[in-house]
Amino acid sequence: MELGQMQKSLQDYTKSLFVEGILDSQFLQLPQLQDESNSDFVSQVVSLFFQDSDRILNDLSLSLDQKVVDFEKVDPYVHQLKGSSSSIGAQRVKNACVVFRSFCEQKNVEACHRCLQQVKQEYYLVKNRLETLFKLEQQIVASGGMISAMDLGF
Amino acid sequence: MLAGKAPGLQHPNSNSILRGLIITLAYDDVNRTVTKRLLEKIGCEVTAVSSGFECLSALSNVEMPYRVVILDLQMPEMDGFEVAMKIRKFYGYHWPLIIALTASTEDHVRERCLQMGVNGMIQKPVLLHVMDSELRRALQSASE
Repeated sequence: MELGQMQKSLQDYTKSLFVEGILDSQFLQLPQLQDESNSDFVSQVVSLFFQDSDRILNDLSLSLDQKVVDFEKVDPYVHQLKGSSSSIGAQRVKNACVVFRSFCEQKNVEACHRCLQQVKQEYYLVKNRLETLFKLEQQIVASGGMISAMDLGF
Repeated sequence: MLAGKAPGLQHPNSNSILRGLIITLAYDDVNRTVTKRLLEKIGCEVTAVSSGFECLSALSNVEMPYRVVILDLQMPEMDGFEVAMKIRKFYGYHWPLIIALTASTEDHVRERCLQMGVNGMIQKPVLLHVMDSELRRALQSASE
């Protein structure tokens, strides 16, 4: 595939993530924080988000599987995930966390299990899409092209 | 901590107001990383901490004249208001400046902030230009 086509694909792909509400405008803050001295910032922060989220989702699963669920433990996890997903613009994950927290408040175990599944689903979706996005960028760079914030199509 | 570089956003003659040491306190890695980078991008020197204890310890270091603390109010397992209260108790009401990051727009949060001696509030998630203007505003009023 020639470079121009690849760049168009990247733009279209990125745009679709916003149209589908998987990402929101907060994600666009991240490239603004990237420059020559911090050239990998976006991928670093996203990797950090993946690491933290994998860990939190694991801890959440364990906490909800206890015979007696300790909501004092569960809620902070969801709160943290809500905060970090919000900072990087993972809109659907954030929204799922908001719902999750309301059921934590009600101490509704069954609903919380469902919420956890929902959050996991949204998380794996955004993770998958972002990994694809970064792969597309890498292909462009490897072919001698350049990525700029403009390539996000906005 | 990195020395800040003057970014393209600001007018050259107003960069000095932002050149100062800042502590940012956030509980999780992602928020701490993003907030720190954001502050550096607008020209600040930043120390990022993850607990009230670290924050107070950093402030007690006389060789580092921190001017501002950026404090996340809603941290799991840590009460941001409590940290603000402790800062005011140990260091008084004039210094350092405290700017609170909050997800809430409720009045009672604002009121409590004022009571605690918080100098500014920014809604989460934080936007670059909002952090920039709120910092400038707080530093400007403090110097008047």
